[in-house]
Amino acid sequence: MTLFLQTTLNGLMLGGIYALAAVGFSLIFGVIGIVNLTHGVFVIGGAYLALLFFSEFGLDPLISMLPVAVLMFGVGWLYQRTIIDWAISRASVEASLVVTFGMAMILRNLLQLWFGPDVQTITPFYSFFSVSFGPFRVDLVRLVALGASMVLLLGLTLVLARTHFGRAMRAVAQQPLAAALSGLNVKSIHAMTFGISAALAGASGAIIGIVQPFSAATEVAWTLNAFIVVVLGGVGSPAGALVGGLLLGLINSYTAQYFGPAFTQAAMFLVLVLMLLVRPTGILGNAYGETR
Amino acid sequence: MQRRNILKAGAAFAALATLPRIAAAQDNTITFGGSVPMTGKAAETGLNVLRGYECAAKFVNEEMGGVEIGGTKYKIALNLFDDASDPTRASTLIQRQVDEGVGFFLGSFGSAIVLPTCAITEAAGRIMVQAGGGSDQIFTQGRKRVFGIFPRASRQFVSSVNMFNALDPAVKTVSIIYTNDPFSKFQADGAVASLKEAGIEVLDAIALPAEVSDVTNVLSSIRERTPDVLVCTTHDDTSILIARQMISSDTNVKMLYQTLGPQTEAYFKALGKYANDVVTQTYWDEAANTSGDYFGSAADFATYYRANFDRELTYHMASGAVCILSYLEAARAAGTLDLDPVRDALAALDFKSFYGQVRFTEDGDGDPGLLGPMLMQRQEGAMKIVAPEANASAKPVYPAPNWRDRT
Repeated sequence: MTLFLQTTLNGLMLGGIYALAAVGFSLIFGVIGIVNLTHGVFVIGGAYLALLFFSEFGLDPLISMLPVAVLMFGVGWLYQRTIIDWAISRASVEASLVVTFGMAMILRNLLQLWFGPDVQTITPFYSFFSVSFGPFRVDLVRLVALGASMVLLLGLTLVLARTHFGRAMRAVAQQPLAAALSGLNVKSIHAMTFGISAALAGASGAIIGIVQPFSAATEVAWTLNAFIVVVLGGVGSPAGALVGGLLLGLINSYTAQYFGPAFTQAAMFLVLVLMLLVRPTGILGNAYGETR
Repeated sequence: MQRRNILKAGAAFAALATLPRIAAAQDNTITFGGSVPMTGKAAETGLNVLRGYECAAKFVNEEMGGVEIGGTKYKIALNLFDDASDPTRASTLIQRQVDEGVGFFLGSFGSAIVLPTCAITEAAGRIMVQAGGGSDQIFTQGRKRVFGIFPRASRQFVSSVNMFNALDPAVKTVSIIYTNDPFSKFQADGAVASLKEAGIEVLDAIALPAEVSDVTNVLSSIRERTPDVLVCTTHDDTSILIARQMISSDTNVKMLYQTLGPQTEAYFKALGKYANDVVTQTYWDEAANTSGDYFGSAADFATYYRANFDRELTYHMASGAVCILSYLEAARAAGTLDLDPVRDALAALDFKSFYGQVRFTEDGDGDPGLLGPMLMQRQEGAMKIVAPEANASAKPVYPAPNWRDRT
């Protein structure tokens, strides 16, 4: 029983990181309908920025999450107002899939040019500590990562539910035309959505940087993880990302413990396929889809 | 009859045109083709191997003014492209160079890339000398024109087992963690076979997927059945992840032995003092007592490299450089740049170099007795050779202190 509970705990820790890394992807998919294949670059871009703050100014990644998020917000906003908007207005929403794929390749290589191909890690003083709860043990960095994920996801939930901007974003997601007729600037809200998504991805990157090694090449895995999380949990809401992320973490952990670590990716993709067959909208469904 | 002769002459001319362009006769340059991971997942080590190739080419061209083969002096040119760590892209690049008539190829890094690319060069009758692929499959499928500086993966663990037996107290149990890729798996299989032959019990051999983000559960298993030595035949990033999680979860073994990772600067940066006492492999060290023509001694190679290149020196640079030296020695022995004589000379090669004595087995991989790995351990921040004893610069620290006690 102890082993099962420890495995569950490990899965939840991992899931918290998956959830935070995926929520931005989910938001863009839900609000604008774009599968943003540049998402992983935003995550790893955040990790590199946090590394810069850490190595140049000694700033802990948990603190540098804030400036990283601000910088990445600007990047995301600009990205939508230029490349994405041009692609959508001149072709279609579907065209953005190809555009974001191409941009991901370009940006990945740019990251590699700037930062080199070497594996990087951020190592604050608490990197090597663990916390024990009776017979259970958890890496401190993973516990911190889970806590930070929860805080950021809660913050996003409050923004979406309680603020004028959140209501405007939901309105645009549900009925863009009606929202525009009501006086909302849809283009601006699309850009803000991209900005917030990139900010959350960047913040998650800062956390990922302290949890595991990263390089520009690892961005692909984070886009893929985000995609699986959204399919599992549902589109457009922090709750969906959280459910999907935790589920993915648990699948990963149980498979590694009871079937062998070699089967974790196979299990993840098996569940992905089953989910697409049985409930393509994910466990919590599309937060905005039914009203469209 | 006359028309038939014309047709024959035409066919002969066409066949001549497709023959490999081994050396550009006009400017007396030997061009080496190939691809290297300059970007992508394997770029960190790929760039190391590339610098090795560049270092040898620079030395031969600038310090020696070229190399004399069959009475003619040749310079070296590298025609290497970025395969982005992608076997498919590498295959396309190599096929294109084969079509262009390149005869001599240098290898990429990673068995997953070397395997398909050497199949292309072999089928086209070209030669590849490489220091990036150790998988058994490269050398056991009957190829005659593929040579590797490293011994095949399953033969890379003999020196490790010898050290385990020499330790006091002797190693009784080992667990192995490996990733599911052609190199890592073969190396792990070879380790299991060598360990069993030596009477050392293998408690677990745990496979990881190619992309790993968490090894907590694996380490729980290791803590439940703690071996004397934990061997990880994993690549750099996974090795760092395993070590970090071992430290934070206080998973202690008498020796952590990771075949790839601890040699790199990134590993030391990531782990700091905890990188001490971790054991790893190296195929060359600048302190080694080896020398030969071209660069001189191992220390001379290190001096020349550092004077001309910025990237941190690892054994990959040396093994990359010796690929080119092997080609040149073989061509000098053959007295020609024709493919078949050079191939035969490579198969018979036995020469002293800054890297050590270079000799290939009948299957083309490095002679395990001459080109097998030495074992290194970081002690008080500096890398020391701890085995084999003949080359050792320090005694191995064993059992290693617990993570919490490392300084």
